[in-house]
Amino acid sequence: MTKYTPPDQSKALQVLDIIFLLVAIFVALWLPLQLGLAGAAKEIDKIDNPTWETLQQTPAQVAQWEKLGYDVNTAHDVIQSHFHYTIDWMELGLMALVLIGYFVFLFRASKKEYREVIAEKFGDGK
Amino acid sequence: MNTVNPAIAPGGQSQKVSLLRVLGPAHVWALGVGIVLVGEFTGWNFSADKGGTLAALIVLWMVGLLYTCVAMIDSEVTSTVAAAGGQYAQAKHIVGPLMAFNVALYLVFAYTMLEVSDAILAGDLITQIATESGATGVTHEPFLMLCIVVLVWLNYRGVLMTLNVNFVITALAFVSIIVLFFSVQPWSQGVVLKLGEMVTPSNALPYGWIGIVAGFQFGIWYYLGIEGTTQAAEEVRSPARSLPFGTMAGMMTLLIAACLTWYICASLLPWQHLGVTFFPLYDAAVVTGSPTLKFLLFWGTVLSAVASANGCINDAARAWFSLGRDRYLPTWFSAVHPKYRTPYRSILFLMPIAVAFVYIADLNQAITFSILSGVLQYTFMSINIVMFRNKWPLGSIRRGYTHPFHPLPAVLLFLLCAITFFAIFLGYGSQLVAMVTFYIIVSLWFHFYRYRYVRRADQFTMPWPKPKGY
Amino acid sequence: MSVWTLVSYGCWALSILMVVWMIYDWIKIDGKYTEAQLTSSREGEIEAISEKHNI
Repeated sequence: MTKYTPPDQSKALQVLDIIFLLVAIFVALWLPLQLGLAGAAKEIDKIDNPTWETLQQTPAQVAQWEKLGYDVNTAHDVIQSHFHYTIDWMELGLMALVLIGYFVFLFRASKKEYREVIAEKFGDGK
Repeated sequence: MNTVNPAIAPGGQSQKVSLLRVLGPAHVWALGVGIVLVGEFTGWNFSADKGGTLAALIVLWMVGLLYTCVAMIDSEVTSTVAAAGGQYAQAKHIVGPLMAFNVALYLVFAYTMLEVSDAILAGDLITQIATESGATGVTHEPFLMLCIVVLVWLNYRGVLMTLNVNFVITALAFVSIIVLFFSVQPWSQGVVLKLGEMVTPSNALPYGWIGIVAGFQFGIWYYLGIEGTTQAAEEVRSPARSLPFGTMAGMMTLLIAACLTWYICASLLPWQHLGVTFFPLYDAAVVTGSPTLKFLLFWGTVLSAVASANGCINDAARAWFSLGRDRYLPTWFSAVHPKYRTPYRSILFLMPIAVAFVYIADLNQAITFSILSGVLQYTFMSINIVMFRNKWPLGSIRRGYTHPFHPLPAVLLFLLCAITFFAIFLGYGSQLVAMVTFYIIVSLWFHFYRYRYVRRADQFTMPWPKPKGY
Repeated sequence: MSVWTLVSYGCWALSILMVVWMIYDWIKIDGKYTEAQLTSSREGEIEAISEKHNI
């Protein structure tokens, strides 16, 4: 196996590589935020004129709420805020597909590169 | 510590500048636990939001199992592949260059975003104190900036001092949890602690089983970052012994801290509050009514955040440095400071990125990105260890540590990662897809373009025999 | 001016000072040593001497 000699990379191209990575990183972190995709939303299931009883809090729990500085109205927003878990199978399928596709590509491409590395390091046919 | 002699004279030839081997097992512990412990002070409790207090406990054990697998697997591989870059160097030797490139990016992402979260946390706490003391118009910007810059400076000036500092502040933060635990008379329920009244059969699992699964996402925060110990591999005096020892000791510390934390918080805080607060342990101290405990846990939280950011800067820079050394990135990044023996250019390069995100990202988002990159990495680890055992079976190379019950931990780790991906889907599915799309794009870029600048055989640096099957 | 305002300014000043020092040191070091010296670190060099993998 002949030894692979990489081409020289000019300074400008090196800088370009770094810029590419930086832009990719910022886009990956920014885009979901900009599109409002960040996080599952909780919804408040409102109770009118809440009391500790209608919020189903025991006296011991009420004591702790009060020590934390809540009153019944501020606690209402925290207590009645719920997740509504729904499974969108289409979306789940898409996510699974993207993840599996990514890992399959990763391992296959790595394997190809790895063979070259081993062949050059240890020599062929031994 | 700062009087390290230059390794080479300016203009002198021959001698090489490399990282300094000065660390012991205590530093490895400080690096691992230091990064993670902040998770007990904030973050883990969002799993209670997702599924209730009992779900948080179940997740504590399940994710604890996941990380025990991570620690065992990581210890075996790293006691053999001892190089800066940790899992990156492992991937390079075992799976292949593209995988290694991705792993290094997971590391840099996970640690930089964690650093960002830590700085936001510390900065916000200080601002809160300022506001409580009656000051008006105090904003968190200067504190965020100072937090990052001081830690970068510390990292720039040498690894020994950096991790000595981390050891002290991590130990103090850990002690604050222990003191809180013994102050609330854990042996007699009902005096201060009221577990039975806070967690009742009707509110223990408000969302049922799906809540437990959803809780996995933030359960990761009990332990996220313990695998960072391996980044110190090139700076530890005896990596084959110190790394497994430091990592395992760290994992035990964290399991203890996690149990204590859950027990205190679940017994003192209503679950709905526990699920949304940013400071569960501090709030628990507030509820006890003791000013001393309040003071202690306030500083515990700040110190744990600082320790974590400090370790993250150390680890992210090591990963970036390794990428430069193998020409995956321009070699410019692989410079070592001749006097302080740190990868100074990588440390400096990552600083503005962290600063930028401290100001533009919010805490939840930064945490989520950290978790996502972490879970992608654990998925890689479970496959990596199987390939490692296949290519170099036991007995073919010397291992500093061999983990038991193979392949059970690998299978378990893989399953738990799958569950965590599902949990992330329930909360942050679109972000996961966006993130993986990013990794796909940079992978294509690397495979078809950037890899041409990499010297093939030079990447394989371990003095091992040829892998089986090649 | 309140104490906290002073502390805020202090934080900015200290941050700027440290950043400036690091940039100064970086430029100084880059000028003093050759690029080949600075980037002479190689992975696995110490292992090659101390850790024998022959069993």
